[in-house]
Amino acid sequence: MSPDTKVRNEVSQTNANSLRQFNHQLGSWTRQFVRRPGANRGAGRMVVALLLAVTLFAILNPRVFLSPINLQNIAVAAPEIGIIAIAMMVVMLTGGIDLSLVAIANFSAITISTLHTAIATTDPDLANNLGVVIVLAGIAVGMLGGAFNGFLVSVVGITPILATLATMQIYNGIAIVWTGGSTLYGAPAMLGAIGQAAVANVPLLFIIFLVVAVLVAILVNRTALGRMIQLEGANPVAAQYSAIPRRAVLLKTYTVGGLLAGLAGVLFLARNPTASADYGSSYVLLVIVIAVLGGTNPTGGFASVFGVVLATLTLQVVSSGFTAIRLSSYEYAIAQGVILITVMIFDSVSSSRTKRPKKLDPQLPSEASPTEAALLRP
Amino acid sequence: MAALRRLRGSNNEGVLALVLLGLIVAMSIANPTFFTLNTGFSILRSAIVPVIFALGVLIVVITGGIDVSFAAIAIFAGYATVSFCLNAGFDPGLPGIFAIAIGVGASLGFVNGIVIAQFSLPTLIVTLGTQGVFFGAMYTYVGASYYAELPGSMAALATSNLLDVTTSSGRAYLHLLVVPVLLLCLLVAWVLKRTMFGRSLYAMGGDLEAARRAGFQVKRTQVSVYMLVGALAAIAGVIHIVLSRSANPRDLVGGELDIIAAVVLGGASIFGGRGSVVGTVLGVLLVQVIKNSLLLVGVPSAWLRTAVGVLLVLGVGIQAIAARRDSRRMRVIEDLDSAQQHEQKVGS
Repeated sequence: MSPDTKVRNEVSQTNANSLRQFNHQLGSWTRQFVRRPGANRGAGRMVVALLLAVTLFAILNPRVFLSPINLQNIAVAAPEIGIIAIAMMVVMLTGGIDLSLVAIANFSAITISTLHTAIATTDPDLANNLGVVIVLAGIAVGMLGGAFNGFLVSVVGITPILATLATMQIYNGIAIVWTGGSTLYGAPAMLGAIGQAAVANVPLLFIIFLVVAVLVAILVNRTALGRMIQLEGANPVAAQYSAIPRRAVLLKTYTVGGLLAGLAGVLFLARNPTASADYGSSYVLLVIVIAVLGGTNPTGGFASVFGVVLATLTLQVVSSGFTAIRLSSYEYAIAQGVILITVMIFDSVSSSRTKRPKKLDPQLPSEASPTEAALLRP
Repeated sequence: MAALRRLRGSNNEGVLALVLLGLIVAMSIANPTFFTLNTGFSILRSAIVPVIFALGVLIVVITGGIDVSFAAIAIFAGYATVSFCLNAGFDPGLPGIFAIAIGVGASLGFVNGIVIAQFSLPTLIVTLGTQGVFFGAMYTYVGASYYAELPGSMAALATSNLLDVTTSSGRAYLHLLVVPVLLLCLLVAWVLKRTMFGRSLYAMGGDLEAARRAGFQVKRTQVSVYMLVGALAAIAGVIHIVLSRSANPRDLVGGELDIIAAVVLGGASIFGGRGSVVGTVLGVLLVQVIKNSLLLVGVPSAWLRTAVGVLLVLGVGIQAIAARRDSRRMRVIEDLDSAQQHEQKVGS
């Protein structure tokens, strides 16, 4: 309220007030738009990136890239990577990381393949009838693996990166011993059927991927557990003072991660009825890249499932596009690294630009800096 | 009591040494062939490259970061140097080869450092990215072929031994390269303990903001840290090529996590601010001895990965539980202090 508004008559005062209100509204809208949390920005950015990648490769080599087979390949290859990336995103929401996801997925695939082969040698029909049970057993193994990670992180108190580094070695090592380093063949017929099936030319695997993504989005955004996971990552101190059961939340988070990885293991088998200990070893890096590209904040608190889905598709498009224009997988590795670092730099520059006005405006409640947070810690 | 505490070391180096000693004794009782000069020398030989890597990782971990691109830098620098020398058809001698490799390694490390320091990005994710870039760049622009022949000076180094002892179980060789590694360890230990640069690393690991306000040039130090790691990795890369007597671009990458595990086992805190050269060397030796003894006891080599994983869980888990007990104890003292202050306030 500046003094001269008081002098004016009532009508113009209300006009000025509504104008001011409008101005204020506009200001808060733009502020919201500019200062959107990283998660939403990630999703918006990935839409642009995906469109750009598709157009680029469609122009460079339309005959190969736009062929239905290539598009179907993208849709069949994306789900397994995408689901592991979503699992990584869920874990990163708490500010952690899970390096053992790919090892868990392989472990689950190996379990299913071994169980199937063991039953099929005595009674092939029984094995196919028990398909659902066998698959569930594989997913349960994944959950167990995730729960052990969660135990190490929450109860024992090991830093996530070290705990999952160790369990990655352990799961992978057991898988190597179990398979003797060779590739196992055989999977329930049901899985093969799922891998081949398509609804209106969209592979069933891709539909499963979307369903899983929607379910995880509901878990993260609409349930109490999801809220607690987000708060735990955004501000562990505040989470502690809000009486959030830290141990239980972390345990559940890593178990969900393991469950999703187990599901990815099922998809491995659905795509290809073979299982081995060292399948997809390059995925460990790839899923971190995807999660971060999709707008996941590696220090926790912000993530968007939609962004991760889009990032998965973008990287698959880039990968198959590189093949279409005859670039090697090593050049794809370079591209992956460059994309990751460029996006991180872009994020860091734009977030420091949006943060700066905060310092000028003392009325806005300033967030506790990490050092202050450390002081608050009991 | 004080002497006991000093023996234990500030990062539990004493405990680690005891574990290592116990393992060696137990192995020697279980299998007499373990306790021979042959085994000892071969363990030392196999530890040469991991120790150099571990020194680099230790430096980064002390500053509170983590580097997973060092193996890619090592093989890039080593392989590029060898392929350059072979293709150009000249042999710059050992100092020349090491100088070229260190130059390449330091400039790759500079890339890491500049990205991390300039934009204050998470170190793990940046180095994961650069790892892919370096590895891909080596295959695309340097080459992917396997060189079985090395430049003359490197080939000569490959067969030079420091000690050549004839024992009852055959001849035992101690490779000459153990000496430079030892010197490197002493140098890094001296830098960490006695120089301003070394102390600034610990300060940054303890609290980056506090170090900055205390007047340390945090960004410049970070860049030099990653350059140093690149240089150390390049030395390790060349030595690896010398020891394996061939240049294979597929080597080294994939073993990063073993090195990080060894460094963490050696008492370095992944949050930064803690760690010592002695502990790191003991950690690497422990992993190497376990690898070696598993084979001797007759455990299939397939269990190696699991063993390293279990070792890491045990080592880090015990550290985590101990740290939590320590922090709980401190909290009690703090509570006591604040209670006394409260009483004083009430009293006055």
